[in-house]
Amino acid sequence: MNTEDEDIFTNNLKLAELIIEEGQKSQLDYIEARYIHLRAEGYTLRNGLILGGGVTQSDGIGIRVLHNGNLVFLSTANMKAESLRELVHQAKSMALASKRKNPIQFSEEKAVETKWSTPYQIKFKDIPVEQKQQYFIDMDKKLLQEFGEDLPNRTIMVNLSHELKYICTNEGSKVRSEIMQPIIHTFNTAMGKYGTEQRFFGIGGTGGWEWFEQQNIIQSVINDAKTMIKAAKFAEPMKLGKIDVIVSSEVAGIMAHENVGHPSEADRILGREGAQAGESFYIDLLKNGNLGEVQLGNPEVTIMEDPTIPGSSGYYLYDDECVKARPRTLIKDGMLNELLLNREFAYKFGLQSNAAARAETFEREPIVRMANTYFKPGSFTLEELAEDIKYGILMNSFTEWNIDDRRYQSKYVGLECYLIQNGEITEKMVRRPILELTTKGILGSVDGVSKSTGYSHGTCGKGDPGQGVPVWMGGGQVRMRGIQLGD
Amino acid sequence: MNNEEKQQLDSNELLLKTLELTKKYGIDDVIAQYHLGKEWQIRFSNSEQDIIKQWEVDNLELFIVKNKRTTMIPIQTPTLKNIEEKIKQSLIYLENSPPSQLYAGIESNIQTPAKIDGLFYKKTENLIESGSSLVYKAIDAALEEGAKKVAGVLYFGSQNTALRTSKGFSGEFDHSYYRATLRAFVEAESSGQDLLCGRNLDNLEAKMITMGKNAGKIASMAVNPKQGKAGTYDIILSPTVAGNIFGEITDAANPLFVMLGLSPLKDKIGQQIGPDFLTIHDNSLLSEGLNARPFDVEGTPGQITPLIENGKLMNYVHNTSTAIQYSTKSTGNSTFIGFGSGTRLLAPYSSNIEYTPGDFTKNEIIEESKKPTIYITSNWYTRFTNQIEGTFSTIPRDGLFYVENGEIQYPIRNVRLSDNLLRMLKNITQIGKDIQQIQWWEVNTPTFIPTIKVKDGNITAATK
Repeated sequence: MNTEDEDIFTNNLKLAELIIEEGQKSQLDYIEARYIHLRAEGYTLRNGLILGGGVTQSDGIGIRVLHNGNLVFLSTANMKAESLRELVHQAKSMALASKRKNPIQFSEEKAVETKWSTPYQIKFKDIPVEQKQQYFIDMDKKLLQEFGEDLPNRTIMVNLSHELKYICTNEGSKVRSEIMQPIIHTFNTAMGKYGTEQRFFGIGGTGGWEWFEQQNIIQSVINDAKTMIKAAKFAEPMKLGKIDVIVSSEVAGIMAHENVGHPSEADRILGREGAQAGESFYIDLLKNGNLGEVQLGNPEVTIMEDPTIPGSSGYYLYDDECVKARPRTLIKDGMLNELLLNREFAYKFGLQSNAAARAETFEREPIVRMANTYFKPGSFTLEELAEDIKYGILMNSFTEWNIDDRRYQSKYVGLECYLIQNGEITEKMVRRPILELTTKGILGSVDGVSKSTGYSHGTCGKGDPGQGVPVWMGGGQVRMRGIQLGD
Repeated sequence: MNNEEKQQLDSNELLLKTLELTKKYGIDDVIAQYHLGKEWQIRFSNSEQDIIKQWEVDNLELFIVKNKRTTMIPIQTPTLKNIEEKIKQSLIYLENSPPSQLYAGIESNIQTPAKIDGLFYKKTENLIESGSSLVYKAIDAALEEGAKKVAGVLYFGSQNTALRTSKGFSGEFDHSYYRATLRAFVEAESSGQDLLCGRNLDNLEAKMITMGKNAGKIASMAVNPKQGKAGTYDIILSPTVAGNIFGEITDAANPLFVMLGLSPLKDKIGQQIGPDFLTIHDNSLLSEGLNARPFDVEGTPGQITPLIENGKLMNYVHNTSTAIQYSTKSTGNSTFIGFGSGTRLLAPYSSNIEYTPGDFTKNEIIEESKKPTIYITSNWYTRFTNQIEGTFSTIPRDGLFYVENGEIQYPIRNVRLSDNLLRMLKNITQIGKDIQQIQWWEVNTPTFIPTIKVKDGNITAATK
C-alpha cells in the first residue's frame, strides 16, 4: 500500500489495541479485535465492453468475545474510540445475557507477535486504471479473434484485492498481515453440435499485477475456451456402462475439496453448521474408531490440506485466531488422519488447533475453513495411468457439481472428456459423462495417482451469513476403477 | 456518519450535500442511497445458542455517471470528508474507463412513491432481549416432537433507507424484518426443516413454536429412511424446494441474465412456458415481503409486474436502462447487484415473487398422488450444466418421502433431482394454496409460494 494507506492502517490498528485494553478493563475472559483495511478493485466485461467496475476502500473491525462460556461477535466501520469502547461493553452485556448450559472454551494456544505477507512485486494500485482495463479488453479481443462465432457470449469478471489486517487478543497475540490477491473468472458460452456448452472458470492466487504475466493468464483463459468449444463441437453422447476413469487435477481437486475437505471440518462433525452447510458423514465413521484407525479409501489415497503453499489462493501463515499455519494430512494412505480445527473445536476434540479459522471480511466471525486441498501426488505419468485401461475416459474438466450436506453423495458432470481404449487416450470426446458417486465410492476406487500436479482456484462457501473464501484445489491426476457412469 | 456529523445532519441532509459534492465535480447522474440501522443474528446448534452477532448498518451507496462511464462507490460510515475523497478517487477511475454497456439512463419521471403500510415494527429491536427466549421455545417445540438436537438461526434488524437522485427524486422509509430457519435432527440422516420470515411481530412466539414443531415432525417422520432408487417419479415440492427450483426461472426473467447467457428465457416472452393455471408476479408492494419497498434505487415507484400469466411468459423485470434497450417501461426493479467478484452493477432484479395460489391443500396433493411420487421437503446445492438449457440438479435434504396410492409410504434418502427447469415448469400438474414466504440460504429472492407438484421428474442416485 502507499504511505497514505499505511498511515490509515497504522493509525487504526491502535484502535484494535484500544479494544483489547477495554476488554481487559472489563475483565473479559477472551477478546479479539480484527481490523482490516481493504482496497478492492473490480471489473466486469461482457463481449469486450465494460459492464461495470470500480475501486473501493474500506476499514472495519470485527470484535469477538468469549465470556462466561458465551460467544459474541460484533462488527463496525465506525472507527471512533468511544464507539469502539461502547461496543466492548455491549459485547460483555450480550455475553452475560446468554445462558449456555455447556460453556464454549478455546484450546490453549501460544500467543504470537509476528507479521507475514503474500509476496508481490507490483501493487494493483500502481498500474493505471486504463492499462488494467485494456488488459482485460485485449483478453476478450484475443478470445474473439481466436474463436469468433464459436464463442458468442463472453463474460470476464476480475477482482484485485489488497488487504492489510491486524489481529490482536487479550492473550497477547498480535499478528499483522498483508494479502495481495488477484482473481479472474470467466463465464463463456460456446456453440456446438447439440446446442451450447457453458462453464464458469476461475483462476486465482496471491501476488501483485505481475501475476497476470507470470502465470500467463490470457493463455489459460484461451485454453479453457478452446477445450469448451472442442467439447461443444465434437463430444458425442455415449453409453459406456462400467468403466475406468482418470480425472484431471481439476476434477480430483474438487473431489478432494468437496468429498474430503468439507467433511473434515470439525464444526460440521459436531453439528455447528447443522442448519446451514450441514453436518458430516464422519460422525458415523468416528463411531467406529479414532483418527488413524478408520479406513475411508484405498492406500493410494492421501489428501493434504495446506495453507502455506506459496502463491496459492488459500495462502496464509497465521489463521484468524493467530495460530501458526501448517500442512494438514486429512487422509493418510486411505486412513482418516486429521480434522480441520479452530480453537473452539480443537478444545472439544482435546487437540490443538491446526489453524483452520478464517473469516471472509471484518464483518464475519472466523469459522473452520479449508485453504488448499489436494490429492498427494503418486508415482505415475498420465500415460502410465492410461496404459492398462481397456475401456475408460479421461475427464479433464467439469461443469455442474454438487454434494449432499453430509458430504457423501456427489456428482460431477464432465466437459472436456476423452475416450480411453486399449491403453490409449483417444481424440474421441464423450459428451457430459456423469460421475454420481459416494465419497467411499470415489476413494475406494482409486488405484493410482500421477506424479504431476495441477491446481485450480475456487471460492469455498460456508456459514450463515455465507462466507466465500478463496481456495486452491488439485494435486495429482487420479485413476478410479470400475465406475458406472450416471444418467 | 460519525457521531459529530450525526448531530448536525440527518439522512436527507447527508444525501443532499452528497449530491452537491457530485455536482461540484461535474458528475452527470447520481444515485445516493443511505442505510442506517442495526442487524442481529442468534445462531444455535445442538439445541443451544452458539453465538449472538450484531452488525452496524451505516452505509452510503453512491452510483455516479460521467459521460456514460459509471461506477458504484460503497462507503461505510460516511462523512462528508470521506465522501468527497472517494468521489475524487472514483473520478480518476471514470475518466479512464470506457462507457458502460449496461447504462442508458436513470428514472427522470419523478413520481409519488407507492404507499405500503407495515414495513416497520419498532419493537423489532427488542428482539435483542427476547430473541434467545424465542429461540429456546422453538428448540423445545422441536424436541417435544421427537427431535434429539436442533440447529438454526434467527436474524432480525431495522433500518432507515433514504434515497436521492440527480433527477430530483427524494424519499425515505423505515423497515424492519425477521427471518429464522430451524433444522431438527432425530438421527444424522433423519432431519426436518422449517423456516419463517416477515416483518409483523404479532404472534411471533407462536410462529417460532410452530416452526419448531413442523421441523420436529418432519424429522420424526424421516426416521429409518430407505435408500432411494433412481427413476422417473412425480415430484411434490414443498414451498421451500419450489422456491429454490422455480426461483431459478423467475430470477432469470431479467435482461441482464439473458444477455449473459444465464437465463433459459431468452426470446420466450409471449410463449406458453407453463400450465394455464400458473400465474406469478414480481410484487414489491407486499408489505410482509422482505424486499418490499415504496421505490427502487432510481426512485421508480414499487409496483406489481406479471412475469407469468396463465402459463405465458409476460415480462422481464426492468430498470430504466434495460427498459430503454427493450423499448418498454421500467418495472421499478432497479437495484445494485453484486455481480462476479468485486463489481456492483446498477441493474434490474426481482423484488418479491408472488405465486397465485392454487386449489389444493398439501394433503390433497399427497392424497391425489396414486403413482410413484417423491415428496421433497427441503433441498440445497442447485447447480447447472447449462443455464440456457436449464439443465440442473439439486440435492434433497431433510425429510424425503416416497408416496404412492395417496399416502406417504416411507422416508427415503440419498437421491438427487436431475432435471430441466423448463421441462419441470411445463410439467406442473398441481399448485397448492398453502402460500408461505420463503427466504433462506438457498432462496435469495423472497418468494410467496405454495406446494407444487410436477409430473415425471428425473431422480438419480449414486452408482457406487
